[in-house]
Amino acid sequence: MQVFLQTFIGGMSLGAIYALVALGFSLVFRTMGLVNFSHGNVVMIGAYLASTFYLSTKLPFALAMALAIGGTGLIGVIIERVLRPLENKDFDLMLIGTIGFGIVLEAVAIIIWGATGNAVPNPVPTGPLEVLGLRIRTYDLVVLAIAAAAAVLLVFFLQSTKRGAAMQAVAMDHEAATAVGIHVGRSNAIAFMLGAGLAALAGGLVGPLLYVNPTMGGALGIKGFAAAILGGFGSIPGAIVGGFAIGVLDAFTAGHFQGYSELVTFLVFTVIIMIRPTGIFGERTVNRA
Amino acid sequence: MFSSLRRHAAVMLLGLALPVALAACSAPGGDQGDTNKTDGPIKIALVDAQSGQLSSLGAWELKGARLAIDEWNAAGGINGRQIELGVFDDQGDPTVGTNLARKIASEGYIAMIGTAESAVTIAMAPILRESKIPNITSGQSPGLVAVKSPFLFLNGPTSVTYDETLAKYIVDGKGLKNIAMITNNGGYGKGEHDAFTKSLQARGVKPIEDQVVTADQKDFSAALTTIRQKNPQVIFIGAEEVQSGLIVKQARDLGITVPFAGAAPQGTPVFADTAGTANVEGTIVSSPYLSNEVSEASKKFAAAYKAKFNEDAEMHGAKAYDGTQILLNALKTSNVATGQALADAIRATKYAGLLGDFAFDDTGVGIFATRIGTIQAGKLVAAG
Amino acid sequence: MKLRVAGIGVLAVLAWLLPYQLDSYLIHVANVVILFAILAIGLGLVMGIAGQINLAQVALFGVASYATAILTTRAGFGFWTAAALAMLIVAAIGLLIGTPALRMQSHYLGIVTLGLALALTNWVTNAHIAGGAEGITGIPAPTLPGIDLRNDYFFYYLELVVFALALAFGLFVVRTPLGRKMRAMRDDSLAAGAVGVEVPQLRMTAFFLASLYGGVAGVLYAGLIRYVAPETFSIANMFLLLAMVIIGGRQSLVGCVVGAVALSLLREVLVDYPTYAQVAYGTIVVLTVVFAPTGLAGLPVRARGLLQRLGWLRRDTGAPPKLGDFRPYDAVERPAEQVILRIDDVSMHFRGLKALQEVTMEISTGEIRGIVGPNGSGKTTLFNVVSGLYRPTSGRVWLGEQDMTAARPHTLARAGIARTFQNLRLFPLLTVRENLLVALDQTSVLGSWRYALWQPGVWRQDRALRRQADELLDRFGLTAFADAAPGELPYGTQRRVEIARAMARSPRLLLLDEPAAGLNGEEVRQLSEIVRSIRAAGVTVVLIEHNMGLVMSLCERVTVFASGRVIADGTPAEVARAPQVVEAYLGDSAMSSDVPVATATEAA
Repeated sequence: MQVFLQTFIGGMSLGAIYALVALGFSLVFRTMGLVNFSHGNVVMIGAYLASTFYLSTKLPFALAMALAIGGTGLIGVIIERVLRPLENKDFDLMLIGTIGFGIVLEAVAIIIWGATGNAVPNPVPTGPLEVLGLRIRTYDLVVLAIAAAAAVLLVFFLQSTKRGAAMQAVAMDHEAATAVGIHVGRSNAIAFMLGAGLAALAGGLVGPLLYVNPTMGGALGIKGFAAAILGGFGSIPGAIVGGFAIGVLDAFTAGHFQGYSELVTFLVFTVIIMIRPTGIFGERTVNRA
Repeated sequence: MFSSLRRHAAVMLLGLALPVALAACSAPGGDQGDTNKTDGPIKIALVDAQSGQLSSLGAWELKGARLAIDEWNAAGGINGRQIELGVFDDQGDPTVGTNLARKIASEGYIAMIGTAESAVTIAMAPILRESKIPNITSGQSPGLVAVKSPFLFLNGPTSVTYDETLAKYIVDGKGLKNIAMITNNGGYGKGEHDAFTKSLQARGVKPIEDQVVTADQKDFSAALTTIRQKNPQVIFIGAEEVQSGLIVKQARDLGITVPFAGAAPQGTPVFADTAGTANVEGTIVSSPYLSNEVSEASKKFAAAYKAKFNEDAEMHGAKAYDGTQILLNALKTSNVATGQALADAIRATKYAGLLGDFAFDDTGVGIFATRIGTIQAGKLVAAG
Repeated sequence: MKLRVAGIGVLAVLAWLLPYQLDSYLIHVANVVILFAILAIGLGLVMGIAGQINLAQVALFGVASYATAILTTRAGFGFWTAAALAMLIVAAIGLLIGTPALRMQSHYLGIVTLGLALALTNWVTNAHIAGGAEGITGIPAPTLPGIDLRNDYFFYYLELVVFALALAFGLFVVRTPLGRKMRAMRDDSLAAGAVGVEVPQLRMTAFFLASLYGGVAGVLYAGLIRYVAPETFSIANMFLLLAMVIIGGRQSLVGCVVGAVALSLLREVLVDYPTYAQVAYGTIVVLTVVFAPTGLAGLPVRARGLLQRLGWLRRDTGAPPKLGDFRPYDAVERPAEQVILRIDDVSMHFRGLKALQEVTMEISTGEIRGIVGPNGSGKTTLFNVVSGLYRPTSGRVWLGEQDMTAARPHTLARAGIARTFQNLRLFPLLTVRENLLVALDQTSVLGSWRYALWQPGVWRQDRALRRQADELLDRFGLTAFADAAPGELPYGTQRRVEIARAMARSPRLLLLDEPAAGLNGEEVRQLSEIVRSIRAAGVTVVLIEHNMGLVMSLCERVTVFASGRVIADGTPAEVARAPQVVEAYLGDSAMSSDVPVATATEAA
């Protein structure tokens, strides 16, 4: 039981990261119909910016994160311009087009920061908490708290602000939104900026947890995307639940199957998706004949 | 339409038949690059990861080899011929390695330095053997010996030596028997895993926990949690520099306080930087090259290295330097022989290097000892 | 034609002579390029032709090379025996990886195939039998009598022959019934199902074909490199392959080959600058996707279009082709009246939206039945239930004596139901003739074994289909448009093509969804003539229509829908007078243009 709980807790912090990545995927998808496979690489850029501000300029972690989120959000606006022609294209083109863009981002990161990457020291250098014989890393709690705050802010933005409501409208019906005078282009740009900001948040938080290097985007992107699909692609609560589900699943397979963890994780994922292709919160898409 | 197609097909077949006839007369590619040239520079290839995650290893190797070759060239080369070092990037990918093996063979290189990745070297070995190109590798996996290529030499001990020394120190010397292991399933980690398990077995010790992670894994909470439950006295790590560092960092975050033990990677600055200096205190390291201060030769090497590259020398550079020196000595004694003769000359070379005294056996291993050091106040010092 | 054959001949001779120009490293590069080209053909087939995302193509390649390696080095089989077994294994795994395609498409299928590929990579990295991270060395070289295949030059010729066969077979598939059905499925899987294409089986066939190509390339790779490692599977290689196919032009197999060769060579040129190679390759991919989505293969067409626009190339200025007259079917004796379609208490709900509520109706043989009702009253939903696109929430659908409630669209199509669509669903990338050919082809996907064993049979069948298509084109007056893309045709002509496609299956029951929408007066007249002739030929017709004039003049009986229910049923005159009908139209959608009385006078 203790091992079970400890493993569960271990999966939560990475789960929160996957949830943030999945939120970015879903937000961009529902608003502009773009499946952005370079999202993982945007996470990597965010992680590098955060760690660079934190390590090289010795800024406090929170400030470094804020700068990274802002910076990556701005980069996101530029990326949106580049990828705009791909929106609502057929899936093959979107897939390889955004992957191609991600490859460029990765190469740029190698040119700027080198290929080997760097470790980020833990910003809360206190020992683990001991609760009922379970050890909880203090940094994990920080990650969970920040991720929760980000999710709440996002939902608040989408539901209770004018701009957020406009984005929701665009997500539901492009033409109708245009007809009532909503600027779709601006809405898309904001969605992408938010997505990139979430990516930077995920990247910045994951730095001290794991390691920052140019190829980190691949694994995070794939797991984050799987989380979004598992939760129901395009659904905000789905992304959060999917993220935690993948994180915890990963932790358990790593505990039980060791080297074979990835095999088991993806097999389980495939079986779940086979049973429920629309994910946990997904809506059944209706064929329109 | 059909009949016209058939006519065209006949014409086409005729077109195909002509070159077949030609091919029958002379096979293409019959004239290979001649490696037995006696003038011009001596071409030596260095194959290592110059890009990607493992490129720091490749960079160190290159510096060590470059230093040795520049020293020889400054002293007039061999038989009046300069030595030319061709650098190839294997990206840490064995398949790229097999391509490069063919490439250096076709471009007339007579010997190869590298790689630092056992898996890549093992992949290249059959082709190098076929092309009769001697290869001095920096890998240390027992798998290299298992290849049984007479053209493959190691510039250091194998994992068997590293881990035997380590097991001897930990079990026999310190009397620690509750040992947990965490290794990756990559080429290096698997070699370490097998070698250390074997050394423990010989002492009648069974590891209380044996966790395997993947080579690109970055989160070890699950494995470390399991290990923590077992309360080991020491934890053996079989993983490359960065991953080892991450394991130690995350273990400390989870409240694991016992020391770690491992082979060469745990003695590097990259390991210490990744884990955090405070976290690596007390780590037990088995290495043939503990520091730049171990001998007069190493001090001289370190000074030359610092002067040339403006950074501190470390083990991988030292190993590559030794390997290159051995190759160049063999070239000198054999009057720039190639192929089998050069391999024989390398095998016959006795060389007092930075890592110790080299004398190669039939398996291509020339050195069979490592030393134990521990990290004290952030520095690796020899253990008493 | 002559030019093309001559071109192929020149290329073949050049390929044959190529080794004389290459040193021992470059010939190795050429050998690897050919393997990528074979893989690209496989990916082109599954993605470009059949429209199924397969991010496991490189993994299939890895499976075959690993299987060969394990069987030769561990089990001691000879190379060719191992290769044959490896092909069986890879085909089985290919089908396994394709299974999710039965349940999902596009990005869902993408992540699942990618995940399965990662799972396979993970397995070989760990499994002892697969040699772990160090891989497997010492794979024996394949042997052929009298030829030393350890020599890269001779291996080149082996690969060249295999490649030529693989390409020829791929092109053969694309141009014959199987490939045509795949392309139809790619363009519009709903419409493909409606014309009888067995979409699930066809998807599996596509994955099967892709796995064969992956298998061939993998076996050759094992024989060429004689070493396998987990990196063989790498995702980076998968993306590279994907880029090759997209840059070359995924809908053309030759394009895929060109893309494979071009990108491989680019990579080789930049081999010493991997980071900059990465920038170059990523940039090229993005630019291709944005500016030339049809890839290199699509460039000639685009270039011609550009030149025409600039006025440098003259357009065809011949008279535009004209729609011919419809040649009526031979009338048959009207069959004895019996119920052909019975809808029994059918309801269809979508998350609270009740699109159909307890609908019951019967349609008799030889009838022309009109279905009318305001927009959103459930007419098209009814068609979708009958043609198998939706499975009703409750109730049953009977075709004659058979319960067809749970049948899939292609089964229903094969049982004699044909339909058209409100918004026209022609296969946009197929010509008009091919649109008809897909529907004419009555063979099952399982009959595709002939592709492996008896190709002349396939060829003969194709020619027979083409004759039938010509006959059908002629009957509907479409001969002049046979080779046009549907999208280039006037709207009315497209409507007629869709009816011709529906009739290609010689159905018993024809469902027409707003066939007169967007037609002018003359076209409506022709339509009514066509429908009458179809009925005279013994086909029962059900049509949804807002053009009340047409409904009144054509239909014997009319069923009126409102809010998902049948509110009236009877002769046109009866329903037009029924108070509930008048109320439904005036009350629910007074602004709607399809008020019966008004349109009736207008179009009469």
